[in-house]
Amino acid sequence: MTGTLHIALTFDDRYWAPAYAVMRSISLASNRRPDLVFHLIHTGISPASRAHLDSFANEFPVAINHIALDQHQAYKAFVADLPIAKPFSPVIYARLLLDRLLPETAQRIVYLDCDTFVRAPIETLFAENLGGKPIGAVLDAHRHMQMLGRDLRQNSDVFSYNFPYFNSGVLLIDRTAYASADMPGRTMELHRQGLLSRLQYDQAALNLVFKDNWHNLDWRWNVICPEPAHEVLDPFILHYTGPRKPWSLLPGAAFARLYRHVMTNDIFYAFWRERLRARLPGLLKVLVPK
Amino acid sequence: MLEKRASDLVVTMPAHRPIHIALNFNDKYWALAYAVMRSICLSTMERKKVVFHLVHTPLSPEHGAVLDQIPAEFGVTLCHYNPEENAEFLATTARLPTNARFPAIVYGRLLLDRLLPPEVERVIYLDCDIMVRRPIEALYDIDLEGKALAAVADAFHDGIKLGRDIRTNQSPFDSAEPYFNSGVLLIDRRALGRADIAARIPELEKDGILAKLYFDQDLLNYIFRGQWLELDWRFNLINPRRSHETLGAHILHFTGTSQPWHLINHAAFSRTYRHVMTNAIFYRFWRERMQDRIRKLLRLRAKT
Repeated sequence: MTGTLHIALTFDDRYWAPAYAVMRSISLASNRRPDLVFHLIHTGISPASRAHLDSFANEFPVAINHIALDQHQAYKAFVADLPIAKPFSPVIYARLLLDRLLPETAQRIVYLDCDTFVRAPIETLFAENLGGKPIGAVLDAHRHMQMLGRDLRQNSDVFSYNFPYFNSGVLLIDRTAYASADMPGRTMELHRQGLLSRLQYDQAALNLVFKDNWHNLDWRWNVICPEPAHEVLDPFILHYTGPRKPWSLLPGAAFARLYRHVMTNDIFYAFWRERLRARLPGLLKVLVPK
Repeated sequence: MLEKRASDLVVTMPAHRPIHIALNFNDKYWALAYAVMRSICLSTMERKKVVFHLVHTPLSPEHGAVLDQIPAEFGVTLCHYNPEENAEFLATTARLPTNARFPAIVYGRLLLDRLLPPEVERVIYLDCDIMVRRPIEALYDIDLEGKALAAVADAFHDGIKLGRDIRTNQSPFDSAEPYFNSGVLLIDRRALGRADIAARIPELEKDGILAKLYFDQDLLNYIFRGQWLELDWRFNLINPRRSHETLGAHILHFTGTSQPWHLINHAAFSRTYRHVMTNAIFYRFWRERMQDRIRKLLRLRAKT
């Protein structure tokens, strides 16, 4: 397969450094660097973070396309009423609008969460045969609790135990088919039914809309919650769900040391200092009560 | 996706061919070599056809005698080779970097075509920190599809090749380039001969490439880039821990710090490993290492 490889990331300023690491991991592992186009769909990015992201193109011959959501009327109108709870941000809904946000030349798209680390050539994922399905994804190993909730019966009116539920952190998307599904319209419908607030937001919406209409990728394309024991299995994409994050100083996550070098040590420690500074006021309140 | 699948291990009717297996080691690793051989003998269904080619520097008579018990227990064939008697081996390794962890003997695998008898057309090379758990003939009979060798992709390749920030090392490898672990190799002898590694060393040295390569594994990857078949990961499970035991690995490769010949470790199948090595050899090997350490410690104290 030839042509441009369109990759979409959505994030806010809290995830600018993980987004940088995702881009660098893809570029390091790809044999087709000049074909890579990163569509960075973001909100609230500071000029300093943006400068870091742009500096990436100095190291690799890739293209970066910024799509700032701060002034994007369609996005703002879409997320205005949708439910969200911490630690999530409304930007997680942006993946549902990919067909409205990306240029029309992007017919096949890989969407990645920013807590991922790509270790295999991304062009291999692009070359997957979707078998006529709108999207490709990996079955979520932790799906039962996510779908059904407490005692596996909280959401039994929506999901059954054997519902084929995928993780939406890694998606291979056929843009035309994705647009036909009208994700924004269907998501609003789910919201009006009162379902979105008690389900896993965007991931649940995608699963309900594409039920039995998605291609199941090899599990190595989205290894969730990866621990050191998974390293030897040579995962293609690591997805740091769960409490162990490779950008923490004491991570316990798979390939944590390698991740630091992929993010580069300068950015890793700059990002750590940034988070520490953001937490300091809260820490001071605890340590020095009025 | 990327590798040749062999997860459904099917052992077919025994073929009319010997199964040549090469190990290279020095006296320090005699007990590990014994455990590798014994693990192969225990798991194969074609013991009589197994021929071990032991490429090693001189062993103590006691250690050599233990290794020579293997044919009596299993009916396999054992051949010893001293590479230091081979002028080409000596000339080649003289140009290659060595240290305590990587002595010259590690390069024995590069010159198997010069060391083994001419009737060996195909050979499996194994590091000695290995335990084989499934019939070795399943690996031996894999179709090489015209490639020079078959190996498993190294899951830790990026850091090995490129160092800090994945860009610091002046490596001849690209980050995206496939890279194999050289602890388990299925080798086509004629292709190894055609590669003529001994003759290429001076040329690599002159071009400044040799100085950028990390011992034998880098060298093999450099010389055979694009000429190797990727095997299923089960044929070389690196750094295996207990959580990997249920995955049905064919060959465990005890890289890393937790190794099954230690009294306390977290390696996969460590208890089985002790019984494969046999308890007598396991504890004898442990006592030997303890004695060796004590001797070194005393010498150190005597100096200070």
